Amino acid sequence: MNLKLIAEQMLNGIVLGSMYALVASGLTLIWGTMKMLNFAHGELYMMGGYVLYFSLILLGLHPFWGILIAMIIAFVFGLLMEKMILRPLLDKPGWHVSPIVATLGISIFLQNFALKAWGERFKSVPYFIEGTMDLFGFRVAYQRVLILVVAAIVMVGFWLYVKRSRFGIALRATAQDRDAATLLGINSHRVYLLTFGISSALAALAATMLAPIFLVNPWMGIPPQLKAFIVVVLGGLGSFGGAILGGFLLGCIESLATVFLSSEWKDVAAFAVLIAFLIFKPSGFFGTKEW
Amino acid sequence: MLKIKNIDVFHGDAQALWDVSLAVEKKEIVTMLGANGAGKSTTLRAISGLLKLNKGSISLAGVRLDKIEPYQIILHGLSHVPEGRRLFPSMTVMENLMVGAYVSSAWKSRSSAVNEMTEIFPILKERRNQLAGTLSGGEQQMCAIARAMVSQPKVLLLDEPSLGLAPVIVERIFEVIQRINRRGVTILLVEQNAHIALQIAHRGYVIETGHVVREGPAFQLLQDQYIKQAYLGL
Amino acid sequence: MAIILLILPVFIQDPYIMNIVILSLLFAVLACSWNVICGYTGIFTLSHQAFFGIGAYVSALSSMRLGLSPWLGLLIGGASACLTGFVIGLPCLRLRLGPYIAITTLAFSEIARIVCMNLVGLTRGEMGLWGIPGFTDISPWGGHVISFSGGDRTAYYYVILVIFFASLGLIGWMLRSFIGLAFRAVRDEQDAALSLGIDTTWFKLLAFITSSFFAGVAGSFYAHYILILTPTSVFSIELMIEVIAVTLIGGLGTFWGPVIGAFSLTVLLEYLREFGEYRFMIYGAMLVATIMFMPSGLSSKLFPEKE
Repeated sequence: MNLKLIAEQMLNGIVLGSMYALVASGLTLIWGTMKMLNFAHGELYMMGGYVLYFSLILLGLHPFWGILIAMIIAFVFGLLMEKMILRPLLDKPGWHVSPIVATLGISIFLQNFALKAWGERFKSVPYFIEGTMDLFGFRVAYQRVLILVVAAIVMVGFWLYVKRSRFGIALRATAQDRDAATLLGINSHRVYLLTFGISSALAALAATMLAPIFLVNPWMGIPPQLKAFIVVVLGGLGSFGGAILGGFLLGCIESLATVFLSSEWKDVAAFAVLIAFLIFKPSGFFGTKEW
Repeated sequence: MLKIKNIDVFHGDAQALWDVSLAVEKKEIVTMLGANGAGKSTTLRAISGLLKLNKGSISLAGVRLDKIEPYQIILHGLSHVPEGRRLFPSMTVMENLMVGAYVSSAWKSRSSAVNEMTEIFPILKERRNQLAGTLSGGEQQMCAIARAMVSQPKVLLLDEPSLGLAPVIVERIFEVIQRINRRGVTILLVEQNAHIALQIAHRGYVIETGHVVREGPAFQLLQDQYIKQAYLGL
Repeated sequence: MAIILLILPVFIQDPYIMNIVILSLLFAVLACSWNVICGYTGIFTLSHQAFFGIGAYVSALSSMRLGLSPWLGLLIGGASACLTGFVIGLPCLRLRLGPYIAITTLAFSEIARIVCMNLVGLTRGEMGLWGIPGFTDISPWGGHVISFSGGDRTAYYYVILVIFFASLGLIGWMLRSFIGLAFRAVRDEQDAALSLGIDTTWFKLLAFITSSFFAGVAGSFYAHYILILTPTSVFSIELMIEVIAVTLIGGLGTFWGPVIGAFSLTVLLEYLREFGEYRFMIYGAMLVATIMFMPSGLSSKLFPEKE
């Protein structure tokens, strides 16, 4: 086994892991506040990818604007989704299952909408920064470094925001006790609405970062969503820090699996780890006692 | 000041309150007594908007509370300390108090508002960075009351503050409640412990299976034979 | 209605329509079996496509590699799906919350799909498993041979019809018995059930193995009917979503709901074929609309008194 190869793959794994963490953080945010699993998360991711593609290729914008627009559009879409479809289901019985069904339906709708509207051909988006650099003796593409940097800034920034800001307190309070939060003047519906929007924007951001590497297509959201599920269980459903840790862990597991098994089996390895966690430590790293 | 008029409240399909009426005048302490499941907490939850009215009205200083969104009620100066305290378990004492300052006007000056609370409740100052879930029962109750007081409400609803607490602690809590009242806060106190409730209250109501069965000044209720037997164990 | 189904082929010879009816019956069996674990026992699983796929591949491979009769394949497929159901069910026993179970079962299904895809030597992966033998000719009452080759679907129709009746009969019997009661106790009030001495673990596992068995049998039939398999056609999440849609639209937790849903949806999807690529968009929208406006499904509209 080539040590250098392993290290290279690990680096890749960390970069990828940061994106898994980004996608998963949105998912865990929704779970933490609303106690639901968003099966359309991957399609919000996909939407981000397509908006970026159109911004860059059709409108010729600079990647910065493309990313921003993608995040905004995803944010709005998340708001609409919450307001129109999830909110009516919220206080009705069957909440532990109805949002899964609803978001599955939305997911199918969006995947096929993209297929119909933009075709099945994979679309490519140019790298934001060309070239490579030397990092600890390894050749790393600037794009990948950018991914890591963006992920770090966004997640640290968001974590601080949630800790300090008024909205952050509202979010955490609503997540821990919705009624008590309401009594203290917090509009839980608005918290859910914004949480959904933010979660969608985070997913879209991850998509834009990875689009140059993985190409844009109607089904691009499926693997990240599955990975995100794994990450949130590893980290503990509802824990933002857990999602970050879980994301990096998954990235490393996958890269190790690629080296020692093969890339075809890396997903099986990931799922196997998920199942192991669910058997032995369902609450994940930082999760609550509820599972 | 706080007027509850002829309210009917349902839990799903089951009726919980029948034609319940209450009035709380400014700066009073009014207590609502009753056994478990009689409808006391239901009444408070209806006032705070967590439960909807099927009939009747609730108004505070002329404003119809049952016509506005639950989260807006605190803006009108009414604060509710819920049954079981309901602190945010993964937040520290300080953070819990901070949530109390969420309402716009209090937010900008939240540090000073929160600090004032820790002066009034010195035990909280000690435990400021402790996770709320790790506090003792009495400390949790103090924290919950403090949290509700941060926004400087005019009316305070207290749901069974003595529940699960040792008599010594209960006395301390009720001292605090009286202190709060002396500062001009109107209090509606719901209690199973009729004895101590009637000691600090000006007036009282007794509720049984969703109906108000007795009302009157506290000293009168203390003399009432029925109440003495049923609620005071005499 | 049973009579209608029995004499149907007399009136309908068109293989295209026969195909639709056959698929409807197939989906009815699939949906009914999922209804057992989700509608009656309250465990929302995303692994039914795995049971279907395993039943299909095991049966196909056992007839192709081991030379076993496809008739036996039905049972072997069902049994292997059943075993898988047991394995998948075990970790799910401790989990209480819907999302956790959903993720677990989905993970297992994905593993099944990827394994099937990767073991190219065995399954030929995405290239597809061709040349699966159809049901072998049988002569049930001396002399007259029922042939399964050729374009005539009639024989296949009767096979699936028998499977349909058998599955529904067995499931129905089970649900009407104490087992059904126990399932519903697990669904509605697990703690109360436990305190009444109902071994919820045992019943949850029972739900898993029975629902997976019938799904496996359905899969086996499918293999010997369509005669070619790919991992994506039988192990995909799309299939699971179809099962969910069928059961939900028909009526989750009702006995006839899945059947109504299966026929309605299969026919509807065929009709929508003219809409081409809009098909699945309409499909997704229907799923959302159903859960929002008609969560108890069609059967509650058609039979308001029933179950």
